[in-house]
Amino acid sequence: MQRRPIHLLLLLLLILGNSPNLFAQNLKLTGVIRDPKGEPLIGATVRWKEDPSYGTQTDEDGRFELEVPATSGTLVYSYVGYNNHEDPFSATHANLDAILTEQSELEEVIVVGYGTQKKSDITGAISSLKGDDIRGLPNPNLGTSITGKATGIHVVTPSGTPGAGLLISVRGSENPLYVVDGIPMISESNSGLSTSYDTQGNTTGNGQNVSSIADLNPDDIASIEILKDASSASIYGARAANGVVLITTKRGAAGKTSFNFNYYTGMQQRSKKINFMSADEFVALVEDARAQDLKKYEEDPTYFGEDFNPDILTNPLPDSWNTNVNVDWEDEVMQNAPVNNVQLSASGGTEKNRFYISTSYFDQQGIVINSYYKRFNNRMNFDQQVNDKLSFGENVSFTYSKNRRSFNDDTYTGIVTNALGCSPLMPPYNDDGTYADYTLYQAAWLSDNPILSANEVIAYSNSYRGLGTVWADYKILDDLSFRTSWSADFTYFTDDQYWSPLTTDAIELGGKATNGSFKQLNWLGENTLTYDKSWNKVHHLNLLGGFTLQRNQSNRLYVTGQGFPIGSGLQNVSSSAVLTSRLADGTGWALVSFLGRANYDFKGKYLASFSMRADGSSRFGPENQYGYFPAGSVGWRITQESFFPESKVFTDLKLRLSYGLTGDQEIGDFQYVSFWSPITYTGIAGLSPRNIADPNLRWQSNAKLNAGIDYELWNGIVYGSLEYYHEEKYDLLSEDAIPGTTGFATITRNAGRVLNSGWEFNINATPIRAAVTWDIGFNISYLHNEVLELTSDSILLYAYNDLAPSHILAVGQPQGSYWGVKYLGVDPETGDPMYEDLNGDGVVDDNDATIIGKALPDYYGGITTNLHWKNWNLNVATSFSLGNDVYNMIRGEYLSLGYSPEGWDAENVLYQVYSNNPEYANDRWMNPGDQTDIPRASLINSNNYQNSTQNLENGSFLRLSNIGLSYDLKLKSKQYIRACQFYLQVQNLYTFTSYSGYDPEVSSTGGVDINTTGVDYAAYPKARTFLLGVNLSF
Amino acid sequence: MKKNLSINNNLMKSHIRFSISILLVASLLLFSSCKKFLNVESPNDVANDNMFTDGASLLSARIGLYNTLQNAAYYGGYFPLMIDAYSDNGTAGGYDSPQLNQFNDKALGADNIFISNFWVAAYNTIYTANQIIAHVDGINDPALSDEVRTDVKGEAYCIRALAHFDLLRTFGEHWDLSSKYGIPVVQTVASPSDIFPRNTVLETYDAIFADLNEALTLVSNDDVEYGSGTKTTGFVTNYFVRGLMARVYLYMKDYSNAAAMATDVINSQAFSLVSDPSVIYTTKLSSESIFELQFNVQDQSEYNNLSYVRDDALRVDVSFLANENLDLFFQQRPADTRASLVNFDPEINDPSIQPDGRTQKYRGEDTKDNSAYIMRIAELYLIRAEARGAMGDFNGCAEDLQTIADLRGGYGIPEIDMLNFESVVQDERRAELNFEGHRYFDLARIGQVADVVGENVLPVFPIPVNEISATGGALEQYPGY
Repeated sequence: MQRRPIHLLLLLLLILGNSPNLFAQNLKLTGVIRDPKGEPLIGATVRWKEDPSYGTQTDEDGRFELEVPATSGTLVYSYVGYNNHEDPFSATHANLDAILTEQSELEEVIVVGYGTQKKSDITGAISSLKGDDIRGLPNPNLGTSITGKATGIHVVTPSGTPGAGLLISVRGSENPLYVVDGIPMISESNSGLSTSYDTQGNTTGNGQNVSSIADLNPDDIASIEILKDASSASIYGARAANGVVLITTKRGAAGKTSFNFNYYTGMQQRSKKINFMSADEFVALVEDARAQDLKKYEEDPTYFGEDFNPDILTNPLPDSWNTNVNVDWEDEVMQNAPVNNVQLSASGGTEKNRFYISTSYFDQQGIVINSYYKRFNNRMNFDQQVNDKLSFGENVSFTYSKNRRSFNDDTYTGIVTNALGCSPLMPPYNDDGTYADYTLYQAAWLSDNPILSANEVIAYSNSYRGLGTVWADYKILDDLSFRTSWSADFTYFTDDQYWSPLTTDAIELGGKATNGSFKQLNWLGENTLTYDKSWNKVHHLNLLGGFTLQRNQSNRLYVTGQGFPIGSGLQNVSSSAVLTSRLADGTGWALVSFLGRANYDFKGKYLASFSMRADGSSRFGPENQYGYFPAGSVGWRITQESFFPESKVFTDLKLRLSYGLTGDQEIGDFQYVSFWSPITYTGIAGLSPRNIADPNLRWQSNAKLNAGIDYELWNGIVYGSLEYYHEEKYDLLSEDAIPGTTGFATITRNAGRVLNSGWEFNINATPIRAAVTWDIGFNISYLHNEVLELTSDSILLYAYNDLAPSHILAVGQPQGSYWGVKYLGVDPETGDPMYEDLNGDGVVDDNDATIIGKALPDYYGGITTNLHWKNWNLNVATSFSLGNDVYNMIRGEYLSLGYSPEGWDAENVLYQVYSNNPEYANDRWMNPGDQTDIPRASLINSNNYQNSTQNLENGSFLRLSNIGLSYDLKLKSKQYIRACQFYLQVQNLYTFTSYSGYDPEVSSTGGVDINTTGVDYAAYPKARTFLLGVNLSF
Repeated sequence: MKKNLSINNNLMKSHIRFSISILLVASLLLFSSCKKFLNVESPNDVANDNMFTDGASLLSARIGLYNTLQNAAYYGGYFPLMIDAYSDNGTAGGYDSPQLNQFNDKALGADNIFISNFWVAAYNTIYTANQIIAHVDGINDPALSDEVRTDVKGEAYCIRALAHFDLLRTFGEHWDLSSKYGIPVVQTVASPSDIFPRNTVLETYDAIFADLNEALTLVSNDDVEYGSGTKTTGFVTNYFVRGLMARVYLYMKDYSNAAAMATDVINSQAFSLVSDPSVIYTTKLSSESIFELQFNVQDQSEYNNLSYVRDDALRVDVSFLANENLDLFFQQRPADTRASLVNFDPEINDPSIQPDGRTQKYRGEDTKDNSAYIMRIAELYLIRAEARGAMGDFNGCAEDLQTIADLRGGYGIPEIDMLNFESVVQDERRAELNFEGHRYFDLARIGQVADVVGENVLPVFPIPVNEISATGGALEQYPGY
């Protein structure tokens, strides 16, 4: 008790001692911090080592000023991506300049599931993109920033439609889980509008989709990590089977508020033209077809059958074939289109609170007329440090996008579909200004006048999306912290489509319209406890335990009506005479998860990690609700061993091995229950069986093995990794064929196994690091995909319609294998096409079909290089794909070689053939002895078998995907503007390929299903884009 | 300082204890509520377990049973139209599609999607009927009257027989009672792993008759009161049960029973032939309809989409066309007013469609609510005529044919004898029933498929290739496919 006053006195002294203002021995320290090139580092942190509460940040000139209550000590400088640097100071050494060296790639901290980890400690397979990889590139969406830059990640842009979805596959598995700032983000297409109709207006497929991941503003992204193996991904258990894409958005850093303004404008043009025949060439082709057939007839009058009347081959073409009209339909429906983007952001704050806010507007007009995509984004990320123990923060973003839909890709009635093969003799408009009636012109293939389709089918999709997260971190102890985060992802999506009474679809209906909306709320609560402790710098243990809850609820409302007041201009369903269909339904799912992970390392030399996640999903019956997904991995940094010779070459070498399970629940809701669905008969409501369910439905699993080597040479001048993986998906959730005698064609059940294995290699080097800095990176991935087991040997699949199978799923073959007849070329004597009569029955038909190719590439990857000199920076990115085929089914429609499906009248006067042909059809067979791959023209015979190798093409390509040149203006005074950069960029400059269609990177079915991918059916062509931009910081 | 540290240690321990206990309690609470949290129910559909719990759900299932007949692949359009398309009545246009071309070229393959869809649709009807038959007696609901319960049960038996019969005449050798090529008979609620091989033709007929006999005793005509009023001919009536029996007897060549059943319905006076045949196709439930599956603008059928589309449609727009041959047929019958129900006029049809034409039975491009004419009274006159003729009663045969001819242009039926009997009857059937799903079956019954349709055309459709692979080959393909 007596000692208390002394305690109090000591306490007082301590408090006073900590207060800088009360003592006179303060020392003012100043200095400039630079990088090795001598450029000032802005925003670097400077701290007094003895008492880290004394600290500041460098200004725009790299300068700092700090007063400390001591006469000597040490300052610590730190900056993201650079090694920490310590500098002793004294009264005589108070002016401190420092140069920070760049961190080795391995010291980088990267985001992993539910935490971060030093790259050198990672034992899983993770592709990480940050900094220059994605910064400053004016990308329209997330996917294009990844293309060709990371191993194992295959990005396909299946269509050039503005705002269209992407196909991202991780090691052969499509549709990974996207996690944005820790929140799994819904990435499905929300639109209920189909892009694929047959000519009777029935939906035939979904065609190109509208990706909701496009709602994310690429300018806000700070880093992207892709978790590929089980060790890294299985902490996301239930949904990690196809890999996980972690996206981290930008956050504020303490310091002066910095503003950033980025604007670019550009022009898009089609990157390729197929080039169709002119009117004269088209007529010449038809005349050649008739002459060739006449020759056949004269040789053998029964060649075309007993009743054949040769007048059709000799009667002169009617006047409609000679109108002096010559329309280039590719030009009519395509245009050069502008693209604009403006973004303004601000970030900054103090040590206690930091913020990042941004707003942006993106406007992309389509290169096909009457299509565009506009997006408005807002984001605010906020961090508050309440005290040493508690911090909290919030991420909020809002996106509005408006899409003028263009109906192409996998549809008979689209704008591009109709323009390809449209008669050049058909004008877009009649003399009186009305649309030309396509039925009166020469191409039977059309389902409408393409211009009419573009103008009179009016469809918009609007998306309103808000994503918000509130989180708090509490340090229970120095080693133990608790984090709780609650987030919501809300989407409101509307679809409005109107067919005017002028369109073929609605001509008998007096106009037709659909109005629809979709609402979705996805909320998630996550609570994790992290324990992180080191003992004597020998043992380091990191433990994570957590519990998460997720709930998803969505509703749709769609109505379709027909019969609109003539000339009223009204397009809402409420103006229609009759409602023909209505839909109002809802669905939802819930997920409960328990997760745990232990990471251990011994002296940073031996690394081990074990994780486990238990997921309960409402999508499975009570018996099979929970799935358990363990994973383990080990790593060994050989270079840390004492026996490893001291080497200037091998500065780091790490071996990794991991194995584990991940899961998949993406089968749709309520699949384990047999349901009766509401229907009507004679206006009476009733219930009809919808499905037959397998109550034993359980989680699909993916067992993943990964072995890797990370290497670093010469302290990071060269670095990279080599990976081998072997993944077996089993208990595949599949729509499986069952005997039709059950009353149903398919059942959703666990059946089948698929193997994905391969290797990945990447190397990054900085061969020159001087006045000129040159970086180069190369990556290549090899994929072997094979179906190991199915309930039946093979299943035929229909990609673009239900008429002829285009794909087959067969044991021993890769997914996405094509099915068709083998084309053997042209008989040089007769000019007739030859096909393999596989079953030898003398007739070539679908029964002669076999496996003819595959959609998945063997190898894919990219080369990127960056050259920096003084104020200039040049960046070139390429991507390539090798060994894949494209099923060019639309060519089966337009390379018709004069064939006419009986387009002559009773007087045997020809008025219609199937379609116009591309110019390269002029290389067809014409005379005996001609060596060519294109058969002779014929009016009577169809010399192009659509589902055959005649239309299967090599889809390998090398694309110059991006060339960017930028210039940093060096400003004398940084008072108003701190940095100013001008840049010029060309996207999709050129593609080296032998593919004859618009682009070999294509999938007209939207590509959501890997089993039916790789078909080109009048896909929206991709643009070549030229951009000019400015990036200002102030 | 040392002491401070130990305080810290104690503090740490209590912190940890506190945190762990909080976490434990929280997890326990959460775990118990997880089960509830994961119990998400569909707001759109009714689970099978909740069906057949009361009378109301039985009535819903009854409507559902009729809805299965409405399937596009079945009486929603494809089934009757493809049966005509694979005969001299029809052909296929449309897209230059391999599937439709098989009808055009008269060379069906086992991979044909329309056939495969029809197979599944007909068995879906059987599945629904089996569900009703399996559960109807077990429903304990005082609100469910015995009349309704009995009637619904009878309807289910009748519709199950109809579906089995449609399958038999499509996929089996229905004309040959000794043939092993019947179809799989399914009379229980099938589970996904059940495999049903072919039954013989005789076994199939036995199953059909077992069901029809049940239906005959159970089904009412219009005297059962449902919530929505009394029955119309849009539903299965006892007349239809007897009419269907007449049709099945005819296929079995049991002519006396066929004639007797037909007479039964004809003499009931419940149905009458209309004087203008176009009335059948432009009004709902005409006096000719015995069972007419109805559609409306919100519940459309595919008939118009498949066979007419719009005025200036091209050949590629129309899936099923009227064969030029049918034009020639009607040209031989100048007085027949039914000629106006097929149109080969070059002014109306695009040149690409010529010389084929389009049926006019399914017009209404804006409403697309065309009915399926599953059975009309005219067919029963034709059945009786054929049965009488086959039994040697040529006068009775001619009399029935003349009854129809009187109202179809008033032309005279020629004198009938042994030689011309078959062709006269079949011509009358063709004139009356074209595009209603009869012609190919009729040609198969009289063994004329190869002669009339094409020398390589088989009288039986192929079992879908999917079915053969899904059953592991337990189902035998018809020889020739």
